[in-house]
Amino acid sequence: MLAFRLALRNLLGAGLRTWLNVIVLSFSFIIIIWTKGLLEGWDRQARNDMISWEVGGGQYWHSEYDPYDPFTLTDSHGQVPAGLEAGVTDGSLVPLLITQGSVYPRGMMHAVLIKGIPPQQKVIELPTAYLEAGEGDVCAIIGEAMAESTGLKEGDYVTVRWRDRNGTFDATEVKIAAVFKTTVPTVDVGQIWLPLDKLQEMMLMPGEATLLIRGPEAGPPPVADPWVFRDQDFLLSDIETIIKAKGSVGLIIWGILLMMAMLAVFDTQVLSIFRRQKEIGTYVALGMTKSQVVGLFTLEGAMNSVLAAIVGALYGIPLLLVQAVKGIKIPLSSSDFGIAMAERLYPVYSLWLIGGTVAIVLLVTTAVSYWPSRRIAKMSPTEALRGRVQ
Amino acid sequence: MIKFLLRGLLRDRHRSLLPFLVTLIGVMLTVVFHAWMTGVIGNSIEFSARFASGHVKVMTRAYSENAAQAPNDLALIGTDTLTAGLSERWPEMEFAGRIHFAGIIDAPDSLGETREQGPAMGFGIDLLSGNMAEAERMNIPSSLRSGRLPERKNEVLISRLFADKLGVVPGDVITLVGSSMYGELAMHNFTVSGTVDFGTTALDRGTVIADIGDVRDALNMEDAAGEILGFFRTGVYDAERASAICEEFNRAYNTPDDEFSPLMTSLSQDKTMGFLVEYSGKLQAILVALFIMAMSLILWNAGLLGGLRRYSEFGMRLAIGESKGHVYRTMMMESLLIGFFGSAAGVAFGMIISLFLQNHGIDLGVMMKNASVMMPSVFRAHITPATWYVGFIPGLISSQIGSMLSGIGIYKRQTAQLFKELEQ
Amino acid sequence: MKRVALIFLLTGCLSSLHAQYPDGKQLLDRIDRNMSSENRVFTSTMVINGRRATHTIKMKTWTAGEKKSFTEYLYPVREQGTKMLKLENQLWIYSPSTDRIIQIAGHMLRQSVMGSDLSYEDLMEDSRLTDRYSAVVTGTEEVNGRDCWVIDLKAFVPEITYQGMKLWVDRERNIPLREEMYAKSGTLLKRTELSDVERIGNRWYPRRILFRDMLKDGKGTEFIIEEIEFNVPIPDYIFSKASLKK
Repeated sequence: MLAFRLALRNLLGAGLRTWLNVIVLSFSFIIIIWTKGLLEGWDRQARNDMISWEVGGGQYWHSEYDPYDPFTLTDSHGQVPAGLEAGVTDGSLVPLLITQGSVYPRGMMHAVLIKGIPPQQKVIELPTAYLEAGEGDVCAIIGEAMAESTGLKEGDYVTVRWRDRNGTFDATEVKIAAVFKTTVPTVDVGQIWLPLDKLQEMMLMPGEATLLIRGPEAGPPPVADPWVFRDQDFLLSDIETIIKAKGSVGLIIWGILLMMAMLAVFDTQVLSIFRRQKEIGTYVALGMTKSQVVGLFTLEGAMNSVLAAIVGALYGIPLLLVQAVKGIKIPLSSSDFGIAMAERLYPVYSLWLIGGTVAIVLLVTTAVSYWPSRRIAKMSPTEALRGRVQ
Repeated sequence: MIKFLLRGLLRDRHRSLLPFLVTLIGVMLTVVFHAWMTGVIGNSIEFSARFASGHVKVMTRAYSENAAQAPNDLALIGTDTLTAGLSERWPEMEFAGRIHFAGIIDAPDSLGETREQGPAMGFGIDLLSGNMAEAERMNIPSSLRSGRLPERKNEVLISRLFADKLGVVPGDVITLVGSSMYGELAMHNFTVSGTVDFGTTALDRGTVIADIGDVRDALNMEDAAGEILGFFRTGVYDAERASAICEEFNRAYNTPDDEFSPLMTSLSQDKTMGFLVEYSGKLQAILVALFIMAMSLILWNAGLLGGLRRYSEFGMRLAIGESKGHVYRTMMMESLLIGFFGSAAGVAFGMIISLFLQNHGIDLGVMMKNASVMMPSVFRAHITPATWYVGFIPGLISSQIGSMLSGIGIYKRQTAQLFKELEQ
Repeated sequence: MKRVALIFLLTGCLSSLHAQYPDGKQLLDRIDRNMSSENRVFTSTMVINGRRATHTIKMKTWTAGEKKSFTEYLYPVREQGTKMLKLENQLWIYSPSTDRIIQIAGHMLRQSVMGSDLSYEDLMEDSRLTDRYSAVVTGTEEVNGRDCWVIDLKAFVPEITYQGMKLWVDRERNIPLREEMYAKSGTLLKRTELSDVERIGNRWYPRRILFRDMLKDGKGTEFIIEEIEFNVPIPDYIFSKASLKK
């Protein structure tokens, strides 16, 4: 306790010098957390985009549905199971009907997936409201990648051909009501979105769907046999694997950042021992054992990082919080990319990241403080008292 | 004067060694951070480039318009000559033809009739020429789960899940049913040589990889390829150079009216990839800037403290008649020397580490479950021209500013109090 | 009174006009008698006008009824010996280079044959028009210098590829010279032009058929009958998987 009080008094007594060190160290804290948060945010962006554009809070699949085998689409549709009808009515479940077809822009045939979705849905970010434009036209929306590969623009009319549930060919002109921008290719490449009721009518499948997307904040999913509930973990497993792999890369970056913090402490600690030999001599002369002196200096070093953590929290928490909420605008030269939400990067600071960083920096600074302090043990107290450099 | 100061620094190691070491370590960390950051951020682009887009890509315009559907009837013809010409004109790049195809893979029963079949995507890449570049690029060797790479004609790798579904193991024969370049029905037998993991369900469910020569035989695509990919030999995408090469190539080879003449595009021209290139570049710049800021502050602090602790020495020197200006100038010169040599040494050490990380990389396979085609486990640093000088910013400039700031005290009247306080 | 008389007169004229048109069903029946047969053996050439080049495929086909057909490819050399057997709605393909018999699953039948404007299903569809469509003659038009009835066909079975068709039928020979296939919405999807009509035995038959996907640019696919024989005895073993490997 005495050592603790003494260490604190020494630190605060050193005034300007301590505060300089503390501020520098606190800055390292913030940078470590910030950098790691940005990297994590970057890794998670794809995941978050997939949730908000496609996955929602999980999906119910028709038992025959297999997204990787388009041939299953012929059979993978059916009436929404009774237990889920209420969700569809209140909008917490969004039914999707998917079928194969072709579009014929500029006299060329492109095989596509035709997806029907209720225009008024609010669960995923697709701008489905454009599907309601109407005035006799059947309105469709497509993504930018699809627009680019087909050469279609907003306002264009294009012929869509499909086969209904009997295998009979049908075709109609649809108007491209909007071209949306997304980072999620699985709602963009090779597909065209139509109003659900229109597609049901076209396919002779009234009230039928291929899958249902849940809202993200709904509670535990009701069972709806024979439809299968696929949770977020299932639907995002590919991307999670990639995030995990990237996480280990981030670990190395984190290591370098920790070394930076170490350097900050090491520098000041070595200096302080070098400059405070007289003081050390005095402590020893006053009867403190060498290990007590080493302890005192180690404690001082460690306290540096505690103070740094407190100071860092004072300005860091608001700073990082603002970032996490508002995101950072990545300045892109070409507005042509125009992927609006991707321009902003939202750092993700996990509790593990913050707690771990503080704990490890504390541990490391203590160790780094201890290391130069060991020299004290080798000092002869009289020489130290005289201030002789050893 | 410099000689005199240097001698002083070398003799009084307490005055020089610690600041030198601190600068060295700080600069070294900055250099390594920059190289690693550039490397790993570039890696995600690199993975996609290697797998699909190349650094540059040559296709016919007709093919590129519909590339997602692998329209091999619109493929490039005369690719051997074209590839040779490309390699000769741009030796800084490596070029390789690839064929994407779609079809059905059919596994026979004992009578040779269909037992299982499934739709498949296929890649025809160079596997049998003895040059492993393409296999390495696709990260195939480390993604192999059973068997081996194709070594003989008509051997094929198959994604593991697909192999399970078809019930085939290395050594079994499977038949590809597809459509040839001229729209004919194409059937070809392959022997499974091994299974691989791709790391994305879509590919794992039904993908085969065969030697491009065999695929050409199978699909009647003699001397043809869907695309020729070009990769910088440095292993890293250079947007400016790539666009210059594209421009030159297209001027020489592309006929705008002919939709079947070769057209070269760079990675940046691919909308998604272009976005990723720019976005990740900017993110990397932000992260490196943050790091340099922090490191600058640390080294500035080191410089500042280094100056402050010598106030008593300066007081002495002033007392014996040295002019304030002279004391200040020698102090600046000293810190400049320490900063320079510290930074130079830091860059040297940092470069050695970065070079190692660039050439050997770090295999994070132990931390990840398994490497796969789409997710290689070896990550590499990458040294750019900027790596050489970023370290000097905190190493030389900021420690110098620290010293300059602390040196101002020399000119102040009430210095006595200040250094008393600092001395304690 | 005058107006009433006029209406009578007009309706009288109209009905008498209608009376000149043959009955749709009878006309279809006459077409079927020309176009379909108990069985046939023919050699044909398919000219596929691709976006880049034109390819020619030559094959010999044996068909019996609506359900059985067997095709052997004669040209190009690469395709020589490739055989296809269709029974009901199953399809097997044999290629000599792989020595494999591969069954093509149902969904594949809707894919285009060799880059042409025809699907396997189109090639196999040989059921009689009268079994699937009701017909109304709506007028007369001239096609390639021949007088034709224009017939609107409407499917009365639900499971059918094209719900509506329009035929231009040679009034004299009872053979369609032009066919248009429509989507349910009325969009024109495909058009075939039949020409080089010749007398073969006791029937008229077109030797040349041009298929075009009307939604797509392109010159279409040409189907030329080199030789054809109707109602010749075809041994049953032809329509067995064993004959694929022969």
